[in-house]
Amino acid sequence: MRLAWGPQDEAFRAELVAFLDEHTPPEARAGADFMGEYSGDEIVPQWLRDWQATLFDHGWMIPGYPPELGGRNCTPVQTLIYLETMAERRVPRSGHFPGYAIVTPSLLEYGDDAQRALAPAAARGDTVWCIGMSEPDAGSDLAGLKTRAELRGDHFVVNGQKVWTSYAQIADKCFCYVRTDPAAPKHKGISVLIIDMDSPGIEVRPLTHITRKADFAEVFFTDVVVPRENLVGPLNGGWAITQGSLAHERAGLWVEGVARFEQTVGALVELARRTGRDRDPVARRRIAAAYELATSLRALGYKGFASYAQGSSAPEHSYMKLATSEAGKAAFELGMELCGAYGAVTDPDRGQEAGRWVTSFFVSFANTIAGGSSEIQRNIVAQRVLGLPRG
Amino acid sequence: MDFTPTEHQTLLRETLRKLLERECPAALVRAHVDDPGVHEPLWTHLREYVALGTGPATDCCLALEETGHAAAPGPFLATVGLYTPLTGDETPGTVAIAGSAGEWLPNDEPVKTFVLEADRVERIAVVCPGPAVAVIERPGPERLRPVATVDFSRRVFELDTTGLALEARPLERGAFDRWRARAYASIAAEMVGTARRILGMALDHARHRHQFGVPIGSFQAIQHKLADMSLALERATAAVHYAAMTVDAGHPDLLRAAHAAKAAAGDAARRILKDGIQIHGGIGYTWEHDLHLYLRRATADEYLLGTTGWHLDRLADLLFA
Repeated sequence: MRLAWGPQDEAFRAELVAFLDEHTPPEARAGADFMGEYSGDEIVPQWLRDWQATLFDHGWMIPGYPPELGGRNCTPVQTLIYLETMAERRVPRSGHFPGYAIVTPSLLEYGDDAQRALAPAAARGDTVWCIGMSEPDAGSDLAGLKTRAELRGDHFVVNGQKVWTSYAQIADKCFCYVRTDPAAPKHKGISVLIIDMDSPGIEVRPLTHITRKADFAEVFFTDVVVPRENLVGPLNGGWAITQGSLAHERAGLWVEGVARFEQTVGALVELARRTGRDRDPVARRRIAAAYELATSLRALGYKGFASYAQGSSAPEHSYMKLATSEAGKAAFELGMELCGAYGAVTDPDRGQEAGRWVTSFFVSFANTIAGGSSEIQRNIVAQRVLGLPRG
Repeated sequence: MDFTPTEHQTLLRETLRKLLERECPAALVRAHVDDPGVHEPLWTHLREYVALGTGPATDCCLALEETGHAAAPGPFLATVGLYTPLTGDETPGTVAIAGSAGEWLPNDEPVKTFVLEADRVERIAVVCPGPAVAVIERPGPERLRPVATVDFSRRVFELDTTGLALEARPLERGAFDRWRARAYASIAAEMVGTARRILGMALDHARHRHQFGVPIGSFQAIQHKLADMSLALERATAAVHYAAMTVDAGHPDLLRAAHAAKAAAGDAARRILKDGIQIHGGIGYTWEHDLHLYLRRATADEYLLGTTGWHLDRLADLLFA
């Protein structure tokens, strides 16, 4: 156990830092606010699309992959250093995560040759992907999805509805979970299809969320024809792919989650100074508790990484999503409390904070719901980590 | 930050785990309630490990997690977590620092409080203002007053130094801070060990206790409690390891990390002891069940070397400095 990585790994960090110093676009240098949201109306601004391509071309998009996939074959430790550095500097990798974070690894693991050939464009961001998972009646119970794909000779016919589909408005392709065998037990009748979003019969309705932004959508499929070769993996073998894609999401996200939480705690310290609450013993103790949480969560993330790098399963990672999402929400609440009577004011000319704490609080509601709610995370910890029997 | 334990560390942990399973069963902790002398055979074994007190804090904390898991009676924590790191002396010892307020910081009060295991060590390091350290041979019973706490596995004393000639050696401020960071991490390591014991007992009970025809561990209300307990424990354990690494590296963050570790361990221990007995139901409330032996240790440790609230307040002092 030691604080520092080896000299080769520190050299890797230095090379990355030099690259970022030279190439980071001015829009990214300004940095997202502490919730990681960029201002502006575009769902994915052009500068961010260009930046993802630049990262890819220099082998800094997914550094663990080979150069043809936007990487440099780096080690797992170096990948961690990469994620840590990007998060510390609040430099985004992409404006649309599904393509590089979920679709690319899934295509590489489960796709045939033609499908694997789609991976580089997905990782570079040239192709924008959305993921068709949740449905109105299939949220936490994802395996209950009903969107039907009927195999008719050389093609499928798809009918149904997806919801909470991020980036559907601008996506070129959908990585879509469909029911191909309604008679089978629910986990055994699911398949994955690649669906071109310009196919006839697809309707996308933007879904405005609680903060009045619309970066996700409902997607309706009516008799959409999908060629049979767009089936990813075996027919009715899609459930294994859902498990895989979520694993990709979890393995890398804790660093960013923790870094964002640490940045929020830093902002709380500054806020307390500005509002004079740094003299209030109750506020001081609560901020210190948030700092303690940040310190221990970062340590837990690294501890999990150490088990993972040694090849054992890393139960620590199952805790991270639950802990960081709940911690973030509580920290924004504390920020609102430090604003006193102005906690709910969003008027930019009234109150020092222009509503950034209350707005972040509202945005953070999504974090304990999306990608596996906190309740589902606790079920996973209890059953898969602690080995308790299913109810 | 690399949390991978070395081969030596893994071996140390395994060896101590086996030793304590054999030499420190719950029956020994129970016997210690009425007869403090029963710890002696265990101490003969643990004494062989006192060099941990002058070695890396990471090794020492891994060992203390195991003695905490067993709620081991005796002067192991007092020696390897407090006395030896302060003096470099591997004789069994303890440290006297807190005054009447119970705050573990240098003060000029002659009566020192919360002196651990003072009647069964050979030497006591008395921390004086400066800070400075005076090492004395263990005095007779006239200067030592036992103070009863809820924990039967740990003995606590007041030491009266009135009229004693204390030859204090000055301590450099940085060295003192590094010592106390190590001391906070050390007790926090024992606390996460004890908390792990209680969580293990609660998990075992949840798997085997049947009500309504099913194990109670299949109920979501119980599962979510256990998931939160487990998260609190894993988080605190990681914070302890991080604190120990900062001590070994002499990192500028070491006091922050140590305050965070003791606070995280205090939170985890409190949550786990409360929900641990709740999951056990009525049987955990009995004297003959072993659970209370560990609940007692976990409860009392939160108050030693600074409460959770005290550590958060010191952390705030550093954040707002």
